[in-house]
Formats: sequence, structure tokens, C-alpha cells
Amino acid sequence: MNSRNPRNPRARSMQLSRRQFLVRSGLIGTAGLALPSFLAACGGDDEEDGAATGGDTATGATPGTTAAGGGGQSLLFDNWPAYIDPTEDGATGTVDRFRAATGIDLTYTEGLNDNNEYFAKIQPLLGAGNTIEPDIIAPTYWMAGRIINLGWVDKLPIDEVPNAANLRDDLVNPTWDPTGEFSLPWQTGMTGIAYNLEATGREITSIEDLFDPAFSGKIGMLTEMRDTIGLIMLGLGKDPSTVASFDDVAEAFEKLEQAKAAGQIRQFTGNDYLDDLATGNFAACIGWSGDVLQLGKDNPNVRFVIPEEGGMRWADTMIMPKGAANRSAAAQFMNFVYDPVEQAQLTAWVQYISPVKGTQDEVAKIDPELAENPLLFPDDATNARLRSFASLNDETEVEMDTRFASIVGA
Amino acid sequence: MTVPTIADEPRTNPLAQRAEWLGLTAMVVSGVVLMLIGARWVTGPLAVFAAAIMLGAIVTLVITAITGGPEARRKIAPYGLLKPGVLWLALFYLAPLITLLKSSLSTLPSRFAVKAEFDWNFGNYRDAFTDNAPQFGRALLFAAIATVLTILIGYPLAYVIAFRGRKYRSLLLGLIVIPFFTSYLIRTIAWSSLLADSGPIVGFLDLLGLTGPLSTLGIMDNGKLINTPAAVIGGLTYNFLPFMILPIYVSLEKVNPALVDAAQDLYSPSVKAFFRVVFPLTIPGLFAGTLLTFIPAAGDFINQQYLGNPNTSMIGNSIQNQFLVQNNVPLASAMSFVLMITITIGVLIYTKFFGTEELA
Repeated sequence: MNSRNPRNPRARSMQLSRRQFLVRSGLIGTAGLALPSFLAACGGDDEEDGAATGGDTATGATPGTTAAGGGGQSLLFDNWPAYIDPTEDGATGTVDRFRAATGIDLTYTEGLNDNNEYFAKIQPLLGAGNTIEPDIIAPTYWMAGRIINLGWVDKLPIDEVPNAANLRDDLVNPTWDPTGEFSLPWQTGMTGIAYNLEATGREITSIEDLFDPAFSGKIGMLTEMRDTIGLIMLGLGKDPSTVASFDDVAEAFEKLEQAKAAGQIRQFTGNDYLDDLATGNFAACIGWSGDVLQLGKDNPNVRFVIPEEGGMRWADTMIMPKGAANRSAAAQFMNFVYDPVEQAQLTAWVQYISPVKGTQDEVAKIDPELAENPLLFPDDATNARLRSFASLNDETEVEMDTRFASIVGA
Repeated sequence: MTVPTIADEPRTNPLAQRAEWLGLTAMVVSGVVLMLIGARWVTGPLAVFAAAIMLGAIVTLVITAITGGPEARRKIAPYGLLKPGVLWLALFYLAPLITLLKSSLSTLPSRFAVKAEFDWNFGNYRDAFTDNAPQFGRALLFAAIATVLTILIGYPLAYVIAFRGRKYRSLLLGLIVIPFFTSYLIRTIAWSSLLADSGPIVGFLDLLGLTGPLSTLGIMDNGKLINTPAAVIGGLTYNFLPFMILPIYVSLEKVNPALVDAAQDLYSPSVKAFFRVVFPLTIPGLFAGTLLTFIPAAGDFINQQYLGNPNTSMIGNSIQNQFLVQNNVPLASAMSFVLMITITIGVLIYTKFFGTEELA
């Protein structure tokens, strides 16, 4: 044995220092590792962001199309994932069509996954009077209302957007933007139940199904409070459009908290629920109409339903953060997507409810069956089953946010 | 007083005679200045002035070292060698720590305020405790279990590599490290697809009829492997395993196999030889590995985020949520501090019982 061990004499003298080294490196670890894990917490989000912006829609422009005369203008639009028609299967996506038509170098990113998370990202910049990179962002109506109230937006160059006249009548001067000067809806949609027939084994019709013990640990809910709480309220027979104080929602919060404690809920997610739904990790979840319909195109087992108790209605709306650089390019983009012909191609792919009048007729030319789908073009009977969440006063919103965050986030 | 001149008259330089004192002062002054500037306690013209003082101290030190002769240089050398590390820590460790401490005692003046105001608000610490007690508990529990598991998996592995690895040692160590060339986030997300309900592992367990027994053990729940506490602990174990294996390996590698032979020559059974001879010699490695595993695991949030469910949230998730979703920096800072203090106390106790004499 000894003959195989030539390091013997030296090893002794080195041993102490090695041991000391190990112990000390461990101690430094105490100091050094605790902090970076928090710093990593700050970095984690950027990574997600990078993944999101790497999506199929941020494709490069077709060579040669940018020379059409945009005068070298550029534009940056930060939106939710799977929210615009990509260039695929022989069809040219909105981003590429816009680039080709105007020559404006449009960069389209998908940085929104959750309203609160996005707000936390832009707040330190806009709140300190700095600008953020995107020229247009599309938060949900209530978040847009908050940003407008905080004065962190520029007026839209609406004079340069003649097609804005095509805005659906019920969206003119909405509650979140009473003068209509600051926002223009991107898409509107419904919140209902999405389910994977393979995983549920049966049709889902009621909000109560989300609390069925058979699906214990296989239910997804949204980190979007107004959707999750709104839907639970509807399930309890309450009207989310008339919430005046926390008392009105207390029962829904209790129901949510019990379901969470019982292990009914697998995860609370942002827009990233789609993978879990497709793989069947979520038997059923609270979902957004268009997302689920898109997924259903490839996977017929994935279905969307407005529960018999009713569903929620919402809008995601384009605003321009204060100091946005490319106003004229932004106006041209808004004008472009508010043209019913262009909008129809977008709607046919994203399958949300278009905010643009005349879209239904144009969609009928592409896909007559789709134009009759009440999930895209809700008739009066469907509309009657939908509610929008009440505008909350500050006090109630803070109380609800805090309670919701303690259930969901922590 | 004459002007200091070159090395042939070192005794006339008063600074050179007190070189030790000068080295210490210059180091402390520059450290404090960098810390104050880093923590933004001095800004504007004052910061420029402070920076000038720091540069002055360094330049004086350098001049003294050049002009002071060998004796002075010998006295200054230790401080000169320490200085880069001290300055680095002052700027990149102490300054952020002070900023964090200050922010943990601040209050947001309004709901969407960007800047918190410093007002000795100890309420943040109360909230950090009362709102997050279960998260603290789970973080420490999960991290502790994961640490024990890394020891149980890592020690035998390190032992085999060190004593039976022969010429394949480097290869085997490389194989342990190679997966960690991939991003931490990607590896964890990969686990979430591997363990998915319709994924290969659950399918295989189903085929073997193990779903029932595993559910009884509490590892599976209603046919799912991920989004369970077991998955979170498994993820932590997997992600921190190399930090346990490598220090233990280094300790084991230094153990002379002749010691085991000697023990056996004295009629010690192999098992006893291991526990009386080999194991005690590897305690420093085990100790370092435990710290390197437990501390980051207790603050981790990625594993819970992708492999956990709403009832397995750890303190890292709460901190991440307060920092990045709620934007409540004061509360998040207080929570970070509570976690740091908890871990420090835990480590000190652990050191007391398990640490080695060199720590004293």
C-alpha cells in the first residue's frame, strides 16, 4: 500500500492547511451564499423574460421588406405571449405584414406574463421619471387604469389613427380611461374554465367542478386576482361587477384559501398555464378564451367553456409609457391593426374577441365557421352571461391584493 | 522636517518608521470610503472628496513602500496583499448589506412610491415574522432534509471515487460536474417535464404498480410526482449535490489508505476502521459541504416555483414575491435579514457541536 502512495510525507504537511481551507471556505459560504441567493431572485425574472421574448413571434423581418419607406423608424411593442398571428404555414403574420407595409422596424416582444409582475418591473423606472424601452405596452384594463391615474403615460397620437373610429361602441371612453385619450384596446376576451378532456374524463360545465375532490391537486388558477376571485364569486352566486368593499368578496377568498389548504390547487400561474394544460398536469384551470381556443386547434381535447354560472370579461389595452420615443410609428401600427381586414387575420389566429368593428365580416371571408363562434363574436345571450370586475376603490384593492398575495404568492 | 528621499536614507522618513500603522490606516480608510460611497451615504462633491482621500491614502502607501526600504516594505506587505479583498468586500458586500439594512427599516410613503423613506420602521421585522412563519419553517425543514439526503448520496459516491476510482477519478468527478454546465433554471424546468403526470417517470412507476405505495409514503399525491413537497426536496437535493460531493472528495482524497491498513493490522473491523479513522478525517469536508448545501437551499425559490405547489412555498418565494411582484422592498429586505440571521445562528450552533477546533 505504502509503495502506491508517494504523496505520504507531503500530505501530512498539507493536510492542516487543506482542512483549514475547507472550514474557512465553508464559513465564507455562510456570508457569501446567503446574499447571492437573493440577488438571484432578482435575476430569475430576467431569464424568464428572455425566454418569453424568444417566442415565435419575434421573428426577423423578411429581407428587403424594410426598404418600403419607413424612414428608418423603429417601434417596440411589449405584449402578452401568444397574442399575435405569427408568420407560419404560408401565412404572413401581422408583424411582418406591418413591416412590409410601412417599412417600420417593429420589434415585438412577449414580456407580459402577469400584470403585477410587469408593474413591479416598470414601476421603479416610470415612477422615478425615467422612460422604459417599449413604445407600446398592453396591460389589462385595470392595470392600464392604474398607470393612467399615476400619470405614467403619454396621450396616444389618436389624430394620426383614423381607424380608431372602428373601436367597438362598448369600449369607447371606458371606465379605466374615461376620456379615451390614453388607451386603445388590443384584444378583449373572456375568463372561463379550460380543461383537458383526457385528464378530466368528462365535460366540465360548472365552477363547482374546479373544487371537485376528484381533481385534487390538478386544478390551476390564475395569479390574476380579478379573474380567479371573479369566477369564484360567480360560482357562489355573487356579482363581481358590484364589489364595493372587502365584505363582498370575503366569502370567495375563504373558498379559495380552503381549496388551497386542502391541496386542490396545483399551482397559481400567469399566462404560463398553457403547457400544464396541454400535458394534462392541469385537469382543469381558469383560463382565457383565445389562449385555450388556439391550443384546441392542435389538441382537440383542450376545451374552453363559459361555466353555467357565468364568466368574466376583460380587455388588454395598448398604452404608451411616458416618454415613448416613436409616437408616429406607434400611431401607424395602431392604425394598421385597427383596419378590419388586418384585424381579421389577427383575430382568426389569436381567437379573442376583437375590439374592432367590422372584423366579423372580414373573418367570415377567411373562415365562415369561425365567424359564427360565440366565443369570438359573442351574441347577446353570451354577453348576458359575462361580468366585468368592478372598479375597486384604493382601500378595497389594497386589502384584496394583500390577502390574495398571501394566498397565491407566498 | 526634510522631504522624504530615496532608500539610502530610510530612517529620515517618518512614515516609513510607522509603516505598519500606515498600512492599516490606509486599508481601513479606503474600505470605509468605498463602503460609504457604495451605500450612497456620501454623494456628490463629498463623494469626490472621500474618493480623493482614499486615493491619497493609497498613493502615500505606495510611495512609502517605494521609498521606505526593505524594512518598511516588509511591514506594509500584508496590508497591501489584503487590500484588494478588503476593498472588494467593502464595496460589493458591506455596502449592499448596509443598503439592505437601511431599506428594511424604511417605509413606503405611498402605495406606488418608488423610494422608501428611512424611519426606523421595525414593523417590517414584525411583519416578516408574523406573515411568513410557515415559509421560514418549510425553508429550513426542506433545506435540512435535502442536506441530509445529499450527505447520504454524496458521501458514498465521493468515497468510491476517492478510494476505488483509480485512473477514472478525474473522469468520474467530471461526470458529476458536467450537468452543472447547464443553467440552473433549465435543469429545474427539465425536471418538471420529466416528472410530469403524463411524463416518462410517472408512466414507468404506474407500470410497476408503484403509484399506490409511493402515495402511502407521501411521495406521490393523487397520481402526481411534481408539485409535491417530495419533488421540491428532490430538486434541492439534485441541484446542490455537487456542493456536497466535491468538499467530501477533497477530504477523502487526503486520507492516506495506509491508515486503514494500520487499523486493520490492529484487528479493527473495516466498519469500525471507517468510523474511527476515515470519517473523523473527513469531517471538515462534510462540514463545508453542509454549509455549501444548506445555506443556498434554505434561500432557494426556483425549485419550489417549478416543482412545488401553493402549500410548499419557501421563504425564498416570499422574498421573491415581495421584491419582484409586490414591490415591497422594505418588507422584502426585512425578510432577507431575518433569513440571514436565522441561518447565521443555525450555523453557529451547528459549528459549536460539529465544527472543528480550527474554527475557534
